[in-house]
Amino acid sequence: MDFKLTEEQEFFKKIITDTVDKLIVPKSQEIDEKDEFPWEVWKEFTKLGYLGLRYPEETGGMNADKIMCMTFYEEISRGSVGLAQSVIMNILMGTYFLFRFGSNAIKERCLYPAMRGEKIATMCFTEDQSGSDLGATRTTAARDGDGWRINGTKMWITNGPICDFCTVLATLDPTKGLKGLNFFLVEKGTPGFSSGQIIHKLGCRGTVTGELVFDNVWVPYENFLGEELGKGVYYVGDILDEVRLMTGAMALGIAKGAYNEALEFAKKRIAFGQPIGNFQLIREKFAEMDTFMNAARLMIYYGAWLLENGMDSRIIAAEAKMYATEVCLKVVDELTRIYGANAFAYEFTPQRYFRDARFLLYGGGTHEVLKDFIGRTLIGKL
Amino acid sequence: MNIIVFIKQVADTEARILIKSDKKSLEIENKYNMNFFDEFAVEEAIRIKEKFKDSLITVCTYGTKKAIEALRTAIAMGVDRAFLLDNTNLDNDDPLIIAKILSSFAKKEGFDLILCGRQAIDDENANVGAMVAEFLNIPHISAILKLEVIDDKKVKAESELEGGREVIEAQLPALFTTQKGLNEPRVPLITGVMKAMKAVIPAIDPCSLGIVKEDIDTKASKITVLSYEPPQSRPPVKVIDGETPEEKVKSLVKALKEEAKAL
Repeated sequence: MDFKLTEEQEFFKKIITDTVDKLIVPKSQEIDEKDEFPWEVWKEFTKLGYLGLRYPEETGGMNADKIMCMTFYEEISRGSVGLAQSVIMNILMGTYFLFRFGSNAIKERCLYPAMRGEKIATMCFTEDQSGSDLGATRTTAARDGDGWRINGTKMWITNGPICDFCTVLATLDPTKGLKGLNFFLVEKGTPGFSSGQIIHKLGCRGTVTGELVFDNVWVPYENFLGEELGKGVYYVGDILDEVRLMTGAMALGIAKGAYNEALEFAKKRIAFGQPIGNFQLIREKFAEMDTFMNAARLMIYYGAWLLENGMDSRIIAAEAKMYATEVCLKVVDELTRIYGANAFAYEFTPQRYFRDARFLLYGGGTHEVLKDFIGRTLIGKL
Repeated sequence: MNIIVFIKQVADTEARILIKSDKKSLEIENKYNMNFFDEFAVEEAIRIKEKFKDSLITVCTYGTKKAIEALRTAIAMGVDRAFLLDNTNLDNDDPLIIAKILSSFAKKEGFDLILCGRQAIDDENANVGAMVAEFLNIPHISAILKLEVIDDKKVKAESELEGGREVIEAQLPALFTTQKGLNEPRVPLITGVMKAMKAVIPAIDPCSLGIVKEDIDTKASKITVLSYEPPQSRPPVKVIDGETPEEKVKSLVKALKEEAKAL
C-alpha cells in the first residue's frame, strides 16, 4: 500500500493551501458577515484558472486527478465555505453535463466562460417536494416544435439567483418516476426563466441560494443534455460518487479550519496560570478530533483513489460523505467548547464554523438516505 | 538579460520547532516555504522580464531534495528554469560556504543581474547575498525597495536606510538583496502551477562546479554550533491597579521606572 502523494500532488497541495491562505482566509469572516455574493474575491480567485480544475488541458482546464480535486475542495472550504460552494458549483455539478453532452456552440457560449469565472453556473435538482427523492420531480419538459417547453420551480439552488445558466432536471413523464428524468440547459435571459425568493441561510453565507422559476420556458432541441431520453438518472449516477466525496472533503476542510483555530487558542489561552492546552481534558479533545479527522481523510482519499482508478466507489463515497460530515460537526462543537463563551459571539470565528458545518448534512444525500443505501447495498435483495 | 535568483527554503513560521536532546540540532515540523524575502526577488525578476522580454530567469537554491518544492513555486510564479544545488552529504549551514557554492553556480551560468532576499527568516544571518557579490567581485545593494533597470548596463535602485532611503545608480552586473515593500509577490496562475508540476528540475552536485569538496564539506566550516537555546518564556502580564485613571498612570510610570527600568 502506498499512501504517499506524488511530488506533483504534494506541490499542488502546497500551492492551493498558500493561495487560500493569501486570498480567501483573510476575507472569510467578512464574506460571512455581509452574506452577499463576494464578487471581488470571486474575480480575484477565479482569474487564477482553478475553475477548469477537472477538465482537459486542451479546453483550458487542468486535468487534475481526483486526489488533487479533493485537496482543492478541502482547502477552499477551509478558507470559506461560502465562497467554496459557488466555486465548486462552477467546477463540478454546474458544468458537468455541458462538458459531457453540450454542443460546441454551448461549450463556447457557456462552459468555457464558466471555466474562466466569467459566467456563473448552477445545477437544479431540488424542488419543494423532492430532494433525495428525485423520482418525485415535478418540473416538466415537453417537446415543442424544434425544442423543449419547461415548466416548474426549483428550490435551494446554489448560485441560482446570480447564475448565467443552469442545468435543469425535468421529467418528460411524471408517471415514469426516475425513468422520466432528463437534463436541459437554460440560459439567463430566456423568456419565462427568472429567479424567485432568496433563501437566508444559517451558514454558508456568501453563497447566494434560492428559487428558480421556469414559466413556459422554451429552449432549442440542442439544450437537451444527454445521449438518450430517459437516462438522466443514470448520468447522475456517474457523478454521484464524486459529489459525495467532494461534500466529505468540504466537511473535512471546515473541520480543519476549526481545528486550527482551536489549536491556536489552546496554546495561547491562559487559565490557572498556564495555557489551557496543558490540561488533560483539553488534550483529550485534540486527540479525538485528530483521530476522527484522520479517519475521515483516509476514507475520502481512498474513495478518490478508487474513483481515479475506475473502481467501484459507491459505498465508500457514501460512507466518507456521511462520516466526514459527522466528524466536522464533532470538531466544530469541540471548538466552541475549547473557545469558551467567546465562541458564542459573532465577533469571533467559532460560531461561523459551527453554523457552516450544518449545511453539509444535506448536500450529497442526507445521512438517513445514505445509511439506507449503504445497508441495502451491503445486505442485498432478500 | 540573464537574471539569476537565489532562494532558500525555510521552515514555515508556524512550523513546530523543537531543540533535540543533544541541543545542537533541531527537529522541525514538515512545513516549509520559500523564504519570505526571496519571494520579492522572484517577483522582481519576473517584472524585469515583463519589461525586457528576451530575459532568461534562472532560480537556484542550495538545499535538500525537499527544496525542489520552493523551486517549483518560483516556476509557478513565472521564472523560466530552476536548479537544485544538492546538499546531500554536504550538510553545511555556513553562509561563507553557501556563498562560495552559489557564486560558482553564477560564474558557470553567466548573469547580468542577481537577486536574492535580504536575509533568510530561519537563521536571520543576512550574509549570503553580500558574500556572493564579493566572490563574484561585483557591486551589491542591500534591502532594495525599488529597482529600475534602465538598460542592460545600468540600474537605479532605492535602498532602505535607518529613517530614510538611499538612491543608487549601479553598473551591471550587480547583485541586489530584496526587502519587503519592493513589490507584491503574485499568486501563481493555474497555467504556471501546471508548468511547475511538469518541470524537470536538475539536481547539481556542487562539486561539479569546479569546487574542491574539502572546501565546502562540513569540516570546512568555520562555524560550530555549540547549542540551541529556546527563547525565554514571557513573564506574566502585570495588571496596573488604581481607583482612578490618574492613579493608574502613576502606578504605570512607577512600574516602568522601577521594575521594567524602561524610563
